Amino acid sequence: MIKFSNVSLIYPNSTTTVLEDLNLEIAEGEMVLVIGPTGSGKSSLLRLINGLVPHHTGGILAGDVSVDGHSTQLVKPGGMAHLIGIVGQNPANGFVADTVEEELAFGMETLNLPHDVMRKRVEEVLDLLSLAPLRDRSIATLSGGEQQRVAIGSALVAHPKVLVLDEPTSALDPIAAEEVLSILHRLVHDLSLTVVIAEHKLERVIQFADRIVHINGVGVAQVGTPEEILMHSPIAPPIVHLARALGLKEIGVSVREMRRMTSEIRDKEYVHSDLISSPLGAPIIKMSDLSLAYDGKPALKSVSATISSNEIVAIMGRNGAGKSSLLKSLAGISQLAKGSVNVAGFNPQDLKGKERRSTIGFIPQEPSDLLYGQSVQIECDQADKDNQIPSGTTAQILNQLVPGISGSTHPRDLSEGQRLGLALSIVLSSNPAVLVLDEPTRGLDYQAKKELTKILIEFARATSKCVVLATHDVELVAELATRVMFLADGDIVADGTTLDVLLSSPAFAPQVSKVMAPQPWLKISDVVAAIQAHQ
Amino acid sequence: MKKLSLHPLTWWIWAIGLAIAVIRFDSTMFTLGCVGAVAVVVFTNRENAPWGKSFNWTLKLSAWILLVRTIIGVLIGVPIPGTTLFTLPILPLPSWMPGIRIGGTVTAERLTSALTEGVLICAIIVIFGAAASLTSPHRLLRVLPVYIYEFGISVVIATSVLPQLVSSVTRIRQAQRLRGQSLRGFASWRRVAIPLLEESLARSLDLAAAMDSRGYGVSKKRSRYRPIKWRAADSAVVFSA
Repeated sequence: MIKFSNVSLIYPNSTTTVLEDLNLEIAEGEMVLVIGPTGSGKSSLLRLINGLVPHHTGGILAGDVSVDGHSTQLVKPGGMAHLIGIVGQNPANGFVADTVEEELAFGMETLNLPHDVMRKRVEEVLDLLSLAPLRDRSIATLSGGEQQRVAIGSALVAHPKVLVLDEPTSALDPIAAEEVLSILHRLVHDLSLTVVIAEHKLERVIQFADRIVHINGVGVAQVGTPEEILMHSPIAPPIVHLARALGLKEIGVSVREMRRMTSEIRDKEYVHSDLISSPLGAPIIKMSDLSLAYDGKPALKSVSATISSNEIVAIMGRNGAGKSSLLKSLAGISQLAKGSVNVAGFNPQDLKGKERRSTIGFIPQEPSDLLYGQSVQIECDQADKDNQIPSGTTAQILNQLVPGISGSTHPRDLSEGQRLGLALSIVLSSNPAVLVLDEPTRGLDYQAKKELTKILIEFARATSKCVVLATHDVELVAELATRVMFLADGDIVADGTTLDVLLSSPAFAPQVSKVMAPQPWLKISDVVAAIQAHQ
Repeated sequence: MKKLSLHPLTWWIWAIGLAIAVIRFDSTMFTLGCVGAVAVVVFTNRENAPWGKSFNWTLKLSAWILLVRTIIGVLIGVPIPGTTLFTLPILPLPSWMPGIRIGGTVTAERLTSALTEGVLICAIIVIFGAAASLTSPHRLLRVLPVYIYEFGISVVIATSVLPQLVSSVTRIRQAQRLRGQSLRGFASWRRVAIPLLEESLARSLDLAAAMDSRGYGVSKKRSRYRPIKWRAADSAVVFSA
């Protein structure tokens, strides 16, 4: 269906090739997963398929990409529209119409399909993706998962033979992600659709993939079955790391396979050392009876909680459950309808300038919102000046977090992970008491996530510091958080230690605990420690 | 009550009509009346969407223009004789610039003429700003014929980026306040401008790529899923102009 022959790609003003001499054939009805570190060219590979690269982005392409016999050198992306549906990294940016139904019809209108065909196909897709209840809704009011489904639907109405998705689940909560992926799985099996996906969160997609293309960032690409590639790849989901840590000969890519392989280990008797809950430090954040509403719609309904020093609190919940609202009121940027917040003795709304910087460090969903300098060096110098600290301190912190960034690089040219690192080091340079992060792992690869985990744990260990983060990433929470607050509809529905909260709900359980249930282990180091204690 | 769904071109034609009327009549009272009426229409009819909120910014912008325009009009220009309000020191200019004077006597007539001209310009900005905030840029694109494809795609990008800029500005300023930066003065706007520009560029490119890969403009003909009809209500609105 899709054929890459001797494809090499280089962008202008760049010295490294994105792809070098890639040969790849994807058969009809195959589900192929593209993996690689951030900035390695996954998106470029996907966009080569319908010719957006190089027709839309520029760049020099050698070799040939053809889909169903049509070469992208001869046909422009528009001419491939009936053949390829493509869903971008941020579907909200690609919407053309206002309501769900009009958006679905748009692609067919441009292809000049007759009216009765359009009516039929719209209904079909509405049913297929369970979008019927949303048909008249304005797209701007939909949640992330719903928007993702609309984007997939609007690609499907043209009856393409190939569907290309760039990080379809990165912004979704685990349940919405599951929903989207199982729909894709069904399409592959029912309609023999060819699907190509790029995704960082392998634990979500790996069990659906037939083959993996692994790009390593210096042009080389490996192609193979998930087992072949993951056996040696540094990029692997937690269950593969678990298999490696346990010294299993084979690896399993799904929880089911891994459970079969580990039943012996699981069934042994383990002495569960009672979790020594470290005594809580002094309370730093106090929220009492916090309520918040946007345009009359309640976002938070009298939330009360206390967060003490040395805690790392993960706030979880569906898209639109009020996570960001909670963080914003902690940081003092939302006008509260009722209640009060107290952070380290201050009302965050009154904080200004240096006082604010040394109390709350906030990393927004788009870390680049904080950056405005023309180069990394200028950003670091500005932070030094703002905080009256010896010049070079911020640059030093940055070098610790993400080594090897040249000071003259423009922040825009950094990879997602590097940009987060820069924003984080600027915020850390003022040594705040509370660090607040909104969805820090969007678009981060495993390596960057590991670094982030290390930094945050170290930060929270210092006296009278704490970290609050909102995230969908269960695996990150398992590795990092000491406490989880679960929000639904603006209410805290669960609040407890990470172990208690994550294990009580199968959808939010990390992979390791799914494999090892009923043993109460969340992460690989738990498993290894328990086995060692047993021996 | 379900809101009146009008043809997307309606408000634009209405705005053009009003603008012509305002220029033709050239009466300050009439102009101010029109601006008032437009504001009432916008505040009652706009949708709760990013473009709907852009009207507030249009109002602020035009107030600024009016202010600056009046000050400059009073300071520089041909003296108009009349009742003297107050006298400013005259800035000496080289002799090869006759007829232009900076400073000098400010008469009530000069102030009024500067104000009237300013009001006219602002009224036109407000009227078109109103049309932009009443119409969804996406719907507007859908009624544009395909043969102005290149034009259409740039129009949609321009019209959809502007209102979204407004919401991005709010978000970025919020983030920078959290970095403890002051939000006053010229420097604060420079800090907002750079992330803003990057984001809107990226967003426009995304939209253009999405439209391109969905075959926009490939076929010269386009079918209509749900044709947007010109209704009696549209004619009524246009006629009211």
